[in-house]
Amino acid sequence: MKQIGYILVFSIVFCFGFTETHSSKIDTNSKIKAVFLYNFTKYIEWPTEYKNGNFVVGILGNSAALYKELSLMSKTKKVASQEFEIKIYTSADDINDKIHMLYIPDEASGSIKNASQKLKGKSTLIVTETPELSTQESGINFIIVANRQKFELNKSNVEGHNLKVSKSLEDLAVVVN
Amino acid sequence: MKAQLYILILVVFASLQGLFAQNKLTNAVNALQNSEFVKAQELIDAAIQDTIFKDDLRTWYYRGNIYKELFKQIELEDNRNEHRSIAVSSFKTSYDMDRDSEVAMSNQSNLNYLASTMFNDAVNQLDNKDYTLAIDNYEGYKSIIKFIEPGRDFIKEDIQFKLALASSYTMLSEIDTLNLGIYLEKSKLLYEEVLLLDSNNISGNYNMAILYYNQGADIINNMDYSLDLKELTMIQEDVHVLFSKSLPFMLKAYTMNPNKMETLIGLKGIYYSMNNMEKSDLFKHKIEELENKEIKN
Repeated sequence: MKQIGYILVFSIVFCFGFTETHSSKIDTNSKIKAVFLYNFTKYIEWPTEYKNGNFVVGILGNSAALYKELSLMSKTKKVASQEFEIKIYTSADDINDKIHMLYIPDEASGSIKNASQKLKGKSTLIVTETPELSTQESGINFIIVANRQKFELNKSNVEGHNLKVSKSLEDLAVVVN
Repeated sequence: MKAQLYILILVVFASLQGLFAQNKLTNAVNALQNSEFVKAQELIDAAIQDTIFKDDLRTWYYRGNIYKELFKQIELEDNRNEHRSIAVSSFKTSYDMDRDSEVAMSNQSNLNYLASTMFNDAVNQLDNKDYTLAIDNYEGYKSIIKFIEPGRDFIKEDIQFKLALASSYTMLSEIDTLNLGIYLEKSKLLYEEVLLLDSNNISGNYNMAILYYNQGADIINNMDYSLDLKELTMIQEDVHVLFSKSLPFMLKAYTMNPNKMETLIGLKGIYYSMNNMEKSDLFKHKIEELENKEIKN
């Protein structure tokens, strides 16, 4: 009986052996990207006709973690008086709205040309996370430098969408053109 | 004539005193047998003051038993620890007087029982967050066992207790966030102690990795979205340091058991947070492989 007592006790102790990671609660990279994206709204100026209604951020394809993070952000943050609206587009063909930012995750990078065509003449900041895309249609491209999240800025691509880039953002970016 | 009378009086007085003392011990034992433990306690405490009985190992043996019974009484719970402590010291005294006596085995068995109650209390006190008492009881448990088995090593138990205590501090840090830093530091020190005892301990390595990882993840989680980009750069540096500290411990845990799901998930998460997607994907595939294997089995 005493033996059983000891065994029970040890099994209780052993249960304490492993503690939970917080990785299940937070996607660290998505949170960092959300902070970057919110900052971009401070350093980039959209034309007047884009300063009313909701501030729309679209995500092309499936990026559940970023969508979740941006949705959380939209509950507490605004761009001036504009509320955030986060939309998911399963295909570039679905993009028909006036959107301020379009995030194209790596998995959807093959759709960038199509998306870019759809957004021609519109003031949409295209943000990507795929190497080489900054030299193509992307305005801002997330890159990894020494295991840290950084971003490339293609100023002419951004300005091509009638957006103004602040000098401060250029200073913080890896400028590619 | 007068002198003879004095001697007679002295002899009678000494005999009466012996009888009374004898009665104290006998009565104490009788009270114990009749479950009159409080009465037995008074009698036995008087008996140990008596020169006739204080050097008799049976006096201490019975005292141990009386106090053990008092310790077990729910209605006397306020003095529970004190009763147990007296029971332990009494059994020890009896055992020390003669380790081959007729009650030696019983002394040992009672000490073992009391040690097990201290161990159980230590575990319960961890659950109830009475950490100081938990540590005291665990040390008490060890001290009794060491007394019975002087050569006994406690490495295994020490590791388990330290892991449990560290884990409790970590859980507490999530509730009492004002003192988060203090509790995490306590956990870290305990994991370090575990790894000093056994550098290959999987739980120690895993939990140390998680502790550093969670610190980094919490910093990111608590960032405001409007955080300035320059500050974000600095935070990325800080969390990278924490993730880098976490990695070797998780890799060690992985080396010790490559098929442990928690470790694979941990490595996937650490590499992901360090923006090493190639390695993160590698462990993601290992997780999928393990899941498929578990489904097949």
